[in-house]
Amino acid sequence: MKRIGVFVCHCGTNIAGTVDVKKVVEEVKKHPAVVYAVEYTYMCSDPGQAMIKEAISKMGLEGVIVASCSPSLHENTFRKTVSSEEVNPYLMECANIREQCSWVHKDREAATQKAVKIIMSMVEKLQANKPLKPISIPVTKRALVVGAGIAGMQAALDIANSGYETILLEKESSIGGKMSQLAETFPTLDCASCILTPKMVEVSQHPNIKLMTYSELEEVSGYVGNFKVKVRKKARSIKEDICTGCGECVTNCLVGNEIQLPEVGSVEKDLSVEMKSELDEIIDEYSDEVGPLIPVLQDINQKYNYLPELALRYASERLKVPLAQVYNVATFYTAFSLTPRGKHLIRVCQGTACHVRGGAAVLDELKRSLGIGDGETTEDMNFTLETVNCLGACALGPVVVIDEEYHPTSPAKVDKLLKKYKENGGEVGK
Amino acid sequence: MKPLKSQKELEQLRTKLMDEMDPKKLCITVCGGTGCHAYGAGEIAALFKKEIEDQKLEGKVDLLVTGCHGFCERGSIVVIRPKNIFYCSIKPDDVTEIISETVLNENVIDRLLYVDPKTEKKILYEHDIPFYKNQTRTIFGKNGIIDPKSIEDSIRIGGYSALSKALFEMKPTQIIEEVKKANLRGRGGAGFPAGYKWESCRKAQGDIKYVICNADEGDPGAYANRSLLEGNPHSVLEGMIIGAYAIGASEGYIYVRSEYPLAVKLFKTAVKKAREYGLLGKNILGSEFSFDVKIARGGGAFVCGESTALMASIEGKPGEPRAKHIHTTQKGLWGRPSNLNNVETWANVPLIINNGADRYSKIGTEKSKGTKIFSMVGKINNTGLVEVPMGITLREMIQDIGGGIPNNRKFKAIQIGGPSGGCIPDELIHLPVDFDSLTDAGAMMGSGGMIVMDDRTCMVDVAKYFVNFLKDESCGKCTPCREGLIQMHSILTNISEGQGIPEDIELLESLAAVVKKVSLCQLGATAPNPVLTTLRYFKDEYIAHIDDKTCPAGVCKSLIQYEVDSEKCTGCGVCLKRCPQEAISGEKKKVHKIDQDNCIKCGICYDSCKFDAVKVV
Repeated sequence: MKRIGVFVCHCGTNIAGTVDVKKVVEEVKKHPAVVYAVEYTYMCSDPGQAMIKEAISKMGLEGVIVASCSPSLHENTFRKTVSSEEVNPYLMECANIREQCSWVHKDREAATQKAVKIIMSMVEKLQANKPLKPISIPVTKRALVVGAGIAGMQAALDIANSGYETILLEKESSIGGKMSQLAETFPTLDCASCILTPKMVEVSQHPNIKLMTYSELEEVSGYVGNFKVKVRKKARSIKEDICTGCGECVTNCLVGNEIQLPEVGSVEKDLSVEMKSELDEIIDEYSDEVGPLIPVLQDINQKYNYLPELALRYASERLKVPLAQVYNVATFYTAFSLTPRGKHLIRVCQGTACHVRGGAAVLDELKRSLGIGDGETTEDMNFTLETVNCLGACALGPVVVIDEEYHPTSPAKVDKLLKKYKENGGEVGK
Repeated sequence: MKPLKSQKELEQLRTKLMDEMDPKKLCITVCGGTGCHAYGAGEIAALFKKEIEDQKLEGKVDLLVTGCHGFCERGSIVVIRPKNIFYCSIKPDDVTEIISETVLNENVIDRLLYVDPKTEKKILYEHDIPFYKNQTRTIFGKNGIIDPKSIEDSIRIGGYSALSKALFEMKPTQIIEEVKKANLRGRGGAGFPAGYKWESCRKAQGDIKYVICNADEGDPGAYANRSLLEGNPHSVLEGMIIGAYAIGASEGYIYVRSEYPLAVKLFKTAVKKAREYGLLGKNILGSEFSFDVKIARGGGAFVCGESTALMASIEGKPGEPRAKHIHTTQKGLWGRPSNLNNVETWANVPLIINNGADRYSKIGTEKSKGTKIFSMVGKINNTGLVEVPMGITLREMIQDIGGGIPNNRKFKAIQIGGPSGGCIPDELIHLPVDFDSLTDAGAMMGSGGMIVMDDRTCMVDVAKYFVNFLKDESCGKCTPCREGLIQMHSILTNISEGQGIPEDIELLESLAAVVKKVSLCQLGATAPNPVLTTLRYFKDEYIAHIDDKTCPAGVCKSLIQYEVDSEKCTGCGVCLKRCPQEAISGEKKKVHKIDQDNCIKCGICYDSCKFDAVKVV
């Protein structure tokens, strides 16, 4: 067992303001390997470093832990400190109790315990550390980027523009990734392909980039600077240098869809005959309208009490609106639900008039009584609880609407109100 | 019904309808507004119908189910016309008695009359009740005398006369001039002069133009537009047709929020009827002018009340606003010139055309003309919808029409204009209600929600409520609104939970200033108003939450607890039985006690105690 010293830094009040450093010192001393532990205002200062040096020589320390900030800040500092006292620099470890503890917590007691844990784990790590010596090895200055989506392409371009050879790997037959499926992008609402296409062209023409499409990464070995990778080039069964990508082979293939393209019209297979005719009926009603997506979704939502995924996919195909846009609309408006709702829809008004008359208390009581939160459905699928920002029945407040019936209510009346709907399968009230 | 082909045919029909109506015939009017409906108006109307049939009174008595009368506090409401005997808080059990006593024997049933809480006198007639007497119901008043499903009822009382006057006696530019002269300002919130908007849309280049009616009444606490649509849809439709003629629009949309299914249904009926009568569609009343209206239903997004977001929503997109460097009157729906006004603004139009701008602008103040409908709700005796002339003071509204604060509590503030508006304190109760003075006071007209607050309303909680509302309703397109409101909400939550620090107030103010200045649309630009006005007028309350860790109004859960008043508690055991936490103990007929460790502060004990023995401390 190495003889270890622990040096706990206050970092002014940065650490000591949240972590009880004295207590930390006491706790870490309990570890049998810790022969010395101390706290100090700024460990990185000259007097602080002198403390470490002195302790190493006096206590005969074989390993040092500095519990302070992130290693990215002072790892080098303390490595130098210990090496001046003939301790191998790799037997010094930083325990980060600032960024990973004091800065992100408020509770003093819990933060103190966490700091102790972080240091203790470093003590264990240090037990396994071996003295290391720096060596020089040759490095291959070539990069591999996995995945040619927008992020991968940009990374490849950045590396290639810095003058390094870059291999860009993509498992699909085309680069571009998910972004090619988007209509517009946040927050400027530029069209996605306006950003994507120039980069796709640049990647394919860049002298430093070697593109490998339809290829997958199989194995990675080696270490930083000397990686070895194994890439599987999937069989295309064509002569790549002559192929123009016209797509004729796909359409004329006698064997079937050997080449996987996204299927069009696949929803229809999954739909039941009944559901298809129901959806057709809804969609047909708006055949003359321009931009009928919202009313169609409203009718679907009313019919099934929510928006089933199949219905959304079918509506997307029939209305010729991209599924992403359908999803965008379906999630934007609160009247739509993507999960099935219960038999009875309870809507609690959270309008101002209801609020000042105790609407929030009614909601709390409903949540408690039903055992579900806002937007959730009871397990027996009997009730769904939702809030609504104003039902326009302000004179009745606080008001709850169950199905289409308005009920002026109060916390004390909630149980009685629910009882009506729990009995008789809820036929009362209609 | 054959479509009407000329102005003359419309007038002939009107005369015929008026002749058919016997002014002396008894008519039982049942209010069918949402409020009364919740109190059983549907059942009451059905019972009246049955009773009339059973007693074979069909020829002698009419039954009329109307839209909202406005006095929602006293629902269900039944008015016996032509005398206008006013019965309130009617229960289904009262129906037989009304028929046998009032209808058959002309006896007044004393116990069903309205009692004026101030004088404690019973009042017989509708028009003598202070709630109605002090209003000027030029637009809303017709709700009580027509069946919203019947276009004949509308025509009988003068409906579509303004349309025929506009079509045959006025040029489009004359109509616009008249609307400008009447100084009709948009009733949706900002109060932009409608005439100028119409003019710029008329002048805009475009083959097709649209008029749009904004019925996405999303402001919580406002329901005036709903009641107008549900009570008198033809007045709104008529206004839209006149506007379309003046602007040169051929197509119209009405965008109704999804929470108002009845309004959608009734407006659909109105549109269908108007088409049948030749008042909508091709060659209206035989003229050259053609116009039709479609109904778009909202999806429950508050931001869709904003004009550009609303238009995006009609187009089938998510309702996200855009920057208005180019006005919607130039490029709006489908990129074409579009003129958007709200329900109440459109309903004002026939009035201006019929009476002329001069007579219209006699009501109101110098810069705000006509009347405005408010929904006066919250801690007030006469909750309901009121129509008042612009310039009336808040005091008149609260005291004379609203009948003061319940349980003789102290009036504290009135919140006007929904989430974009602000809270006006007791000191400013003399303030005249018009567009400009409300804006000066930090509030705004908004869509006419007035929420009255008493000393048991916590202003920090109110500010938190609105910011929470807006944070959820922010569409997320621009950062200051999306992120700023979340931060403001978390600061307000800290304050209301007793975790606030003195610097919070300054931080709130500076955040509010940024959100106000740089948000993309008016949702964000007005979002800090509730915080700013409460800070302006009720800073003491914020300080009490932060420094003393108390909630003076007794609302913020973390800062209050419920206790039993040992002098008032009779030991009846009701609270003990109702407590969901079993946190109340005590023997029968002895003072009960609340175990504070178990109490979740649900307020059920407070709510259910008949002796006011549970108090908030």
